Amino acid sequence: MSTPAAALPHHEHRGSGFFDALAPGGKRVLFILALLATLFLFAFPAFWLILTSLRPAWGVFYVHRGTDFTLSNFSTVLEEEIVVRAFINSFVIATVATALSIVVTVTSGYMLSRFKGRVASTWFGTIYVFRTVPYISWVLPLYFVTQWLGIFDTYAGLLLPHIAVHICFFSWIMKGFFDSIDPSMEYAALIDGCTRWGAFIRVALPSAIPGIAALSILCWLYTWNEFLFALILTSHNTPMITVTMAQFVTELGTEWNLMSATAVMAMGPALIITIFGQKYVIRGLRV
Amino acid sequence: MLLLIAPAASVLIMFQIVPIVIGANASFRHWPLYDPSGEWLGLEHYVRVLTDPVFLGVVLPNTLLLMVSSVLISLILGLALAHLLNRDFLGQRIVQTVILLPLMIAPVIAATMMRWVFNDQFGIVSVVWEAMGFAPQAWLASRWPAFSIIVFTDVWIWTPWFTIILLAGLKSLPKEPYEAAAIDAATRWRMFTHLTLPMLRPVIAVCVVIRSIDAFRTFDQVWVISQGGPARQTEVFSVYAYVEAFHNLNFGRGSAAAIVGAIIIMVLGIVLYRLLDRYMDVSR
Repeated sequence: MSTPAAALPHHEHRGSGFFDALAPGGKRVLFILALLATLFLFAFPAFWLILTSLRPAWGVFYVHRGTDFTLSNFSTVLEEEIVVRAFINSFVIATVATALSIVVTVTSGYMLSRFKGRVASTWFGTIYVFRTVPYISWVLPLYFVTQWLGIFDTYAGLLLPHIAVHICFFSWIMKGFFDSIDPSMEYAALIDGCTRWGAFIRVALPSAIPGIAALSILCWLYTWNEFLFALILTSHNTPMITVTMAQFVTELGTEWNLMSATAVMAMGPALIITIFGQKYVIRGLRV
Repeated sequence: MLLLIAPAASVLIMFQIVPIVIGANASFRHWPLYDPSGEWLGLEHYVRVLTDPVFLGVVLPNTLLLMVSSVLISLILGLALAHLLNRDFLGQRIVQTVILLPLMIAPVIAATMMRWVFNDQFGIVSVVWEAMGFAPQAWLASRWPAFSIIVFTDVWIWTPWFTIILLAGLKSLPKEPYEAAAIDAATRWRMFTHLTLPMLRPVIAVCVVIRSIDAFRTFDQVWVISQGGPARQTEVFSVYAYVEAFHNLNFGRGSAAAIVGAIIIMVLGIVLYRLLDRYMDVSR
């Protein structure tokens, strides 16, 4: 653009902002300082927990002093039967709940995206409203429902409510995935003699796979991390890792080295997923 | 077509809608946890909850304060961070990894970390605090310090979420308005208030509504950090309902509190959405 300088009457104000007043080098330093502060703020608590987990029992009260490190906290914790069972239970429930939630919501999301009419709009309204109901309002009575069904404190008793937790939100997200896929391919498949079901399985579903993969990873982690449902719906038979940990914190409040070791192991999946599955996580979060 | 939603709908009905109905029913009945006899009491539980000084004077203000402060602080920090990261620089991946971490870690673990960092004898914050010459402080033994730690933990967990979503929003904004503003010699602050904010309006509105609804039902962090203590001073609504039902074994009272909370957040959600939509419309 060949705007004459005279057309920019406020030109002299350009340098009046705080950032512009700094020398180019100063701006850079400021940027780096801000970055470092951010890194420190978000990494420090986790770093400190890992450090604590590596300290021997007598060193834990002065984590910032001394250089004695040990892995014995981890082995001590893993000798506790309940911790090992809690890890296994959490793993099984997170995995199965993810698989089932995805299967159940992918069809519901597809329906919301492709079909119009009374049923679709009623269903959409239902999941929209029930998404806002606070967990506590339905997990309290679920305690009785699972007992009446005889599935309290079993895998099924935690799995089914966990699927219910995900239905509203995931149906909504899945609808978004299918909305962004052009339906004309499916119509072409229908004309070529594919059934409606075949068009969904063979044409629409493969295009939605990247989004579904991202959602699965997040779903697995949500279930692994979930606390309130596990707290109310399980007892001694099906300990879950978050509940076991919270009990450590409130009951054995002094053995910080063992507690940290448990917490570090419990955040293992989160670390692995954040480092190796970052692309999927970010894609999943943006939807 | 019905077949596609049948599995989802049946699980939803069985494990969400039926429980809500049972809870609503229980909230009108005498229903101790150990003896679901169910004598009809009418609105007594609601009257008791709504006249309970703990619920009105501590729990509700705490819940709303936690919601407002957590959402507001994380939104502002998230906006700032998104701006900071909206450029190419060395080590971007490392920063992104570190920022994602709080979001991926279980709230229970995050709360455990904070409890340890703020431990009144051996926590690193206390060590630094005393090294700086301040009097020793029992962080979790009085209301406001304990509550601030809960808010801090919530902000720590949720700022990354705002950052990532707003960063994606920033990256998708068109460049032309900024070029035009640069030609008109607008300052960075003016560009931010007159271009970035209005263009990010829909994203911010959705983020704030979703986060507010979720922040209202916060349980994990509060339970692990303070268990609502000292002396019920940091209880929030989810903790109140849980304690009524499972510690005081008064399931009817707990259900009534849970339903009162659910109604408040539904009304609040709608109002918030309308408000945000209108207010941000004006600022455009």
